[in-house]
Amino acid sequence: MNTSSNGYVMGFAVGVCVIISAALALTANALKPIQDGAAEFDRQKNVMVAAGLVTPDDLRPRTELEQLYKDRVSEVVVDVKTGEVVAGKGQGDVALLNKESAKAAKDDKDAATRFRAVAISKGADGKPDSYVLPISGKGLWSTIYGYLALEGDLVHVRGVTFYKHGETPGLGGECENPVWCAQWKGKSILDEQKKLVGVGVKKGRVDASIPAEKAHKVDGLSGATITSNGITNFVKKDLVSFDSYLAALRSKHN
Amino acid sequence: MTATTTPPVAKRSLFGKEELKVIKDPLWDNNPIAFQILGICSSLAVTTRLDKALVMGIGVTLVTALSNVMISMIRNFIPNKIRIIVQLVVVSGVVIVFDQFLRAYMFDLSKQLSVFVGLIITNCIVMGRLEAYAMSNPPWRSFLDGIGNGLGYLWILAVVGTIREILGSGKLLGFQVVPDALYAAGYVNNGLMVLAPGAFCLLGIIVWIQRSISGYVEK
Repeated sequence: MNTSSNGYVMGFAVGVCVIISAALALTANALKPIQDGAAEFDRQKNVMVAAGLVTPDDLRPRTELEQLYKDRVSEVVVDVKTGEVVAGKGQGDVALLNKESAKAAKDDKDAATRFRAVAISKGADGKPDSYVLPISGKGLWSTIYGYLALEGDLVHVRGVTFYKHGETPGLGGECENPVWCAQWKGKSILDEQKKLVGVGVKKGRVDASIPAEKAHKVDGLSGATITSNGITNFVKKDLVSFDSYLAALRSKHN
Repeated sequence: MTATTTPPVAKRSLFGKEELKVIKDPLWDNNPIAFQILGICSSLAVTTRLDKALVMGIGVTLVTALSNVMISMIRNFIPNKIRIIVQLVVVSGVVIVFDQFLRAYMFDLSKQLSVFVGLIITNCIVMGRLEAYAMSNPPWRSFLDGIGNGLGYLWILAVVGTIREILGSGKLLGFQVVPDALYAAGYVNNGLMVLAPGAFCLLGIIVWIQRSISGYVEK
């Protein structure tokens, strides 16, 4: 067997590629359901971290945390156009609802994001005490996904997590650092005139003596201006999207 | 056509003297990080916590051992023109399979390690051992060489990871080891240990210690 003949080289290369590809495809397909389960559990855990039910480095086993989610968190699907809850649907139905909505209203570019899931965490007494909104948008290199949990008054932030992103580790990637996320707690999304201002990431350190900064801003991330601006923008965009739902809830409470 | 006589092959046993030497050498004398100075970049990035360092070390051990075996088995059939590419394809395949398993069974850690699992493909230790050993040695010994080099990499990572986690965040494997009383008395976590320069200094010290003890002198 002449190992340097062109035919042999081509044949060997093709053979190696086919065998390795087959092995990879087999592995990926066999493991996909388990990976999806792990990703879904991670999402649920982040909802609970934002709502304050669980700490990021919680040592409890997965089964216990999954049970906690089942007991204390309920999911609703909100039609952001009307601000109303769609009865009987959960997180898993969102993709299908959006697909149908996009098909029905081909010209409306908001139709594909019309339905969004909101998680409501209940206190120990079973009453809703925190509303967890999904937030996502463009950072520098990637789409950043997170959860913003509002207190029962729907004005103050209870917590935030950024759990999925492709930003640079150490720079924009610090958005997932629990120490930075802890600053968000207590900020308000409405100003004194009840106007929606959202929470902004300031360039530099927040000056606590300025009331507007103390209430609505968090410290910037060093070396991550574009990521920080992206976060400010998409948090505001998502709060605007949920505004009719939140306003309806606020008036119901008052 | 004249028949070529092959020299008699020395008797090979499963764990003979030669085999044990293949495992022991990379642990100290021929350590990939301290002696060969390979695989430094990943050792800076993944040693902020001990669990990350251990998973990465185990990953590199498995990848080096498995790809060593696979390349060693086909070493006489690989055309020389595409030798490096074939090695790369095999290593990539093994690393991707490892990454898939991590994502299925250790999701949090795979997020923490993020790109560095994929970067095992570029780790010089893996390609270095393939070229230096697996291409010219039988499969079982190549496997042991991969295990030895991987373990040599792993123990250094474990040492650096332990020091960085304890000094940098007061914890080990997530459990608080620095007592609260010390924090109250004014002790502060060492920020330099969490960053790459701190790891670099630690690595330099370890290389210095290892070479002092083994007595190696650079020519």
